Amino acid sequence: MNKMLLFFSIAFLGLLGCQPSSAPFYWGDYSSTLYNYKKNPGDTTLSVHKTALLEIIKEAPEKKKLVPPGVYAEYGYILLKEGRESEGMEYLAKEEKAFPESVVFIKRLKNEYSRGKK
Amino acid sequence: MKKIAFILISLSLVGCGTYVTKEEFAPEMYKDHPQTIIVLPPINKSTSAEAKEYYSTTIAEPLTQSGYYVYPMEVVNDVLQQEGLYDTETMLTVPPQKFREFFGADAVLYLTILQWNTSYMITSGSVTVKVAYELKSTYTGDVIWFYDDAVTINTSGSSGNTGGWAGLLAQVITTAITTAVTDYVPIARQANEKILLAIPFGKYHKLYNADMKSKIEKKKALKPVEEESPKGPS
Repeated sequence: MNKMLLFFSIAFLGLLGCQPSSAPFYWGDYSSTLYNYKKNPGDTTLSVHKTALLEIIKEAPEKKKLVPPGVYAEYGYILLKEGRESEGMEYLAKEEKAFPESVVFIKRLKNEYSRGKK
Repeated sequence: MKKIAFILISLSLVGCGTYVTKEEFAPEMYKDHPQTIIVLPPINKSTSAEAKEYYSTTIAEPLTQSGYYVYPMEVVNDVLQQEGLYDTETMLTVPPQKFREFFGADAVLYLTILQWNTSYMITSGSVTVKVAYELKSTYTGDVIWFYDDAVTINTSGSSGNTGGWAGLLAQVITTAITTAVTDYVPIARQANEKILLAIPFGKYHKLYNADMKSKIEKKKALKPVEEESPKGPS
């Protein structure tokens, strides 16, 4: 009987090996609000998506998770497109601080923005 | 009793095909240690025109959860368009190395949607999403990892068959309706999750560099010509 238990434990462990382990990032409603925006692009769906991005930034620490890659950058980029320069730049800086590997990308976004202003 | 347990174990192994370790399958991943991945808009080989647009919203999340820095796809698309790159076909001609220069990416992920379709067989229906991944190094331009998988959801109307023609008719109608309204996106998410079980974990995952011995199903690299064959009347 004990041997059988062992067999099942091994089989069970084998199954566990197929499961993803706990996720490092908190994504909130990101994919569904982005999906809705792509399905019906417009001011309303974009503003819902923006709210989702802000909520991720706010709620991730409460959930003891990290803000995912790209979320600060995407939010900052939308703000820049709306002409909210200082806030937008602030979020780009947050992306770079949280993910130093994004430095080349963030630099490009900043350059393109100043190039577009001229 | 012991025999039954043994059979169960064997069956579970049979269901998973040939196994190899992640390190055997993708040794370059453990040498290169890519940390940043740029995901290009998918190549659509399915018969659905909308597949491309919708599928792209499902990929960043699971890829980051596997431990990678993934560039925000919406922003990346904008930037690429400003550089004159509008469609996936043109992007495919860009050498992977360019994306390191442009964004600082260590690797480029090329996605191909092979199937995104429904099939009806009078009283039974199903929805299938099949996707293939190919990850190329921006240092060497070589493929360092690839994988593919499909998820099929049965959409047959199981409305507690009342028997006779009326029951059959009801089932035909239910099947047609459920199949038509089935949302592909959750199915695409499942396909991504299945595929990403096979990627070596990136640096934000707690099993980073500790999963070399994990066993995964061995896959063959897809031939570029493989395309969706239409199934049943549509």
